[in-house]
Amino acid sequence: MDEEAALENYFDQTIAGSSDYIFEGDLGLQGPAPQLQDSSFLPSLTSQEKDLTEDLDLSFLPDELSTQDEPQQAENVNNNEDSGIYTEGPPREATEANTYTMNLACPLDLKSIALQARNAEYNPKRFAAVIMRIREPRTTALIFSSGKMVCTGAKSSEEQSRLAARKYARVVQKLGFPAKFLDFKIQNMVGSCDVCFPIRLEGLVLTHQQFSSYEPELFPGLIYRMVKPRIVLLIFVSGKVVLTGAKERSEIYEAFENIYPILKGFRKQ
Amino acid sequence: MASNCPECGSSNVVEDDLYSQRQWVCEDCGSVVSEGHLTTLLSDETQGRDVPYHASTEVVKKPCRNLIAGFVRVRALCRILRLSNAMESEVVSLFESAYNLPNFLHVTLTKKEILGGCCLLCVCRQRNWPVSMGTVGYLLGADNSAMGTVYQELTKSLNIQATTSGITDLMESFCYEFKLGPKQVEEVLSETPQRLLDRVSALIELAADTWIVTGRQPLPLIMGSVYVAWQSLNPMARMKYTFTTFCKIGKVPEQSWRKSRDTALKRVNELLEVLCKLGRELPWLRGVAVEHNTVATLVDDILKHRRALLLRAVKNYEQQLQNELSETQTTECDNDPSESNRSESSSSETPAVMSSDQAKCENPADEEATDCQLPPTHWGKRHLFLPPCVKSCKRQKVDVPQLEVTGDEDISDSEIESYIRSQDEIKLYLKAQKELKQA
Repeated sequence: MDEEAALENYFDQTIAGSSDYIFEGDLGLQGPAPQLQDSSFLPSLTSQEKDLTEDLDLSFLPDELSTQDEPQQAENVNNNEDSGIYTEGPPREATEANTYTMNLACPLDLKSIALQARNAEYNPKRFAAVIMRIREPRTTALIFSSGKMVCTGAKSSEEQSRLAARKYARVVQKLGFPAKFLDFKIQNMVGSCDVCFPIRLEGLVLTHQQFSSYEPELFPGLIYRMVKPRIVLLIFVSGKVVLTGAKERSEIYEAFENIYPILKGFRKQ
Repeated sequence: MASNCPECGSSNVVEDDLYSQRQWVCEDCGSVVSEGHLTTLLSDETQGRDVPYHASTEVVKKPCRNLIAGFVRVRALCRILRLSNAMESEVVSLFESAYNLPNFLHVTLTKKEILGGCCLLCVCRQRNWPVSMGTVGYLLGADNSAMGTVYQELTKSLNIQATTSGITDLMESFCYEFKLGPKQVEEVLSETPQRLLDRVSALIELAADTWIVTGRQPLPLIMGSVYVAWQSLNPMARMKYTFTTFCKIGKVPEQSWRKSRDTALKRVNELLEVLCKLGRELPWLRGVAVEHNTVATLVDDILKHRRALLLRAVKNYEQQLQNELSETQTTECDNDPSESNRSESSSSETPAVMSSDQAKCENPADEEATDCQLPPTHWGKRHLFLPPCVKSCKRQKVDVPQLEVTGDEDISDSEIESYIRSQDEIKLYLKAQKELKQA
C-alpha cells in the first residue's frame, strides 16, 4: 500500500540514522537542514499515522510524532501546519497591555489634582506628571499639565482601554477642570504566548541572522524584528514569546502566525 | 586724500600699493604724498575677527587628542588579545569611522573607551575570532550592560552584521587560561590543556543537547564545565577540592570568577544532574545509586556513550509516561497498588531508581517541597530534559476574569467619587504634610 511504503521510506531515511537525527547539530553548527527535512514529512504522515498506530510501536520516534497517539490531540493533527494558534499544547495567547494617549484639552493644575485625588501621586522633582491609577479596569495613567495623558495597563481589549480613558477624564472633570475626551489613540499593544516546547535559539539566530539578535551575555532571549508586520518579538528558550510594537490586535496575531512555523523548525526532542 | 602734490603741485595723484601698504603717489614727480598704516591699531585688532577654521586654507584636520589616545588604547587591547596585524588595522579604521559619528562624538571618555572595545569585538566576530563580551569588558573595566548598549548602537549606526561567537569557540581560549600544566602544579592536580579541552568540549556538547546552554551566560557555564572535567579526569584525588579552591589552584584572575561563582556552582549542579540521569542508564550499574558526589567516576563512560545513553533515557522516560497514562486511565487514583504494578512491569535495569522517580511524580509535595513541581497537565512533563527555567515554576499567573465591556458604558458617580478626597481628608493631609516637613 502507498501509505506503508511512504512510512517505511520515512523510517529508512530518518530512524535508521536516528542518533544523528535527534541530537546532532544541536548548537546550530550543522545548520537547520535536519529539522527542515523533518517538517516536510509531517503533512504526508499526519493522515497515515492514525491508521497505523495500532500496528506499530512509535514510542521511539521524536516527540512531535509520538504525541499524536494521545487521543485528545487527534482532531488537531491536521491543523499542525496551518494555524499556529490551535495546535497541540495549546499555545496560549494573551494581550498583556495596551498603551494609549489622549488629550483632555485643558491645562491642568497638577498640584491641586494630587491634593484632591486619592489615587494620584505627584513628585515634581522626579517627573513632571501626576501618576493616577484606577481599580476597574486596572490601569495607570500619566497626566501632564498640558492636558495630555498617557495610559497603560488595560488588558485584552480596546474597549477596556476606552472605558479606562473615559474614567480618567471623568475624575479630572469632577476635580473641577473642563476636561474633554479627545484624540484617543492606541500607541502600542503587547502580547505574550507560550508555544509549549523549548526552542533552540542558537539555531534560530544563524538562519534568520538579518532579523535576529541573540546575545546571551546581555539578555537571555532572542530579539526578532519582524518586517511584515513591524513587530518585535522576544523569544525565550522556554517557549514563551512576547510580541510588542503593534498598533492593532490583528498585527499581533499575524506576527504569531508567521513565527510559529519558524519556531517549530527549531524544536528538538 | 590730498589731490595736489606738495613737491611739484600737480593734481595727478594716484593710489598705489607698495607691499600691501597703501600709498598715494604723484605720477609726475614720483613723490609719496601720503601712505596708510602698515601695522594695525589696537582698535583694529580688537574689532577684527579671527579666521575660522573652515575659511582657512588648512586642508587636513588634525586628529583630536582624544582620538589619538583612543587609537593607542585600541592598539593596546589588540596586542593584549594577540590579534594579527591585519585585524588590528581593521579595528583601528573601524574605530576611526565610528568615532566621528554624531552619536559618538560628544560622549564621555569612558564611553569612547568602551566604543574602542566594541569595535574590537565587531571585527573579531566578523573574522570568527572568539572573544566574549565579558572578556573585553573585563579588560576595559566596564560591565556587560554598558558594553551592550554601545555595541548595539554601533552595529545599528554602521549596519554591521556580526554573529555571536558560539560557546564552543569561546571554550578553547578559556581552557588555556587555567594554568594546570605539569610544571605549574603538582602531578596529581595537573592536566594537559589538550586533554582538558577534549573533556570540556564533550561536556559542553552534552549540556547543549540537554538545554543547559541556551539563553545562559557562557562564561560561568564554561568555568563550571572545566571544574567538572578536571575532577572527572582523576576523581579519586580531586573530588575533595571545591570550586573556589580549584580556581585558586589554576591561578585564574580572581575578578573573573569571584562575581560569577554562584552561577558557576548552579551550572555545575545542573551538569551533574544531567550526568546522573544518564549515569542511571548505564547497563552495567544494576541499581547502584548515582548521586552528584559519585558520578565523577562515571563521567568517562557517560561521555563515551552519551548518544546511546541519551536515546535510552528519553525512551525509558517516555515509556514510563505511557505506563502512567495507561494506569490512570484504567485504575482509580490509588497510590500503593499502582506503584507496585508499575515497578513490576517496568523493564528498566535500575528498578530502584525508576520507582523512586515514580514516587516523585506521585507525591510532589512530599518529595520536593522546595522545588515547585509543574502542574500535571503541563507540557513540560513530556520531556525528560528541559530548560531549567521551565522546570522552576514561579507563582502561577492568576487569570483575572476579563469583563466584557463595550467602552461606552455609563460610569457611575459613586465610583468616581471614591477616587476623590473629601474636604476633611484634604485638611488632614495638609496638616500631616506640614508636620512631616517640620520634623
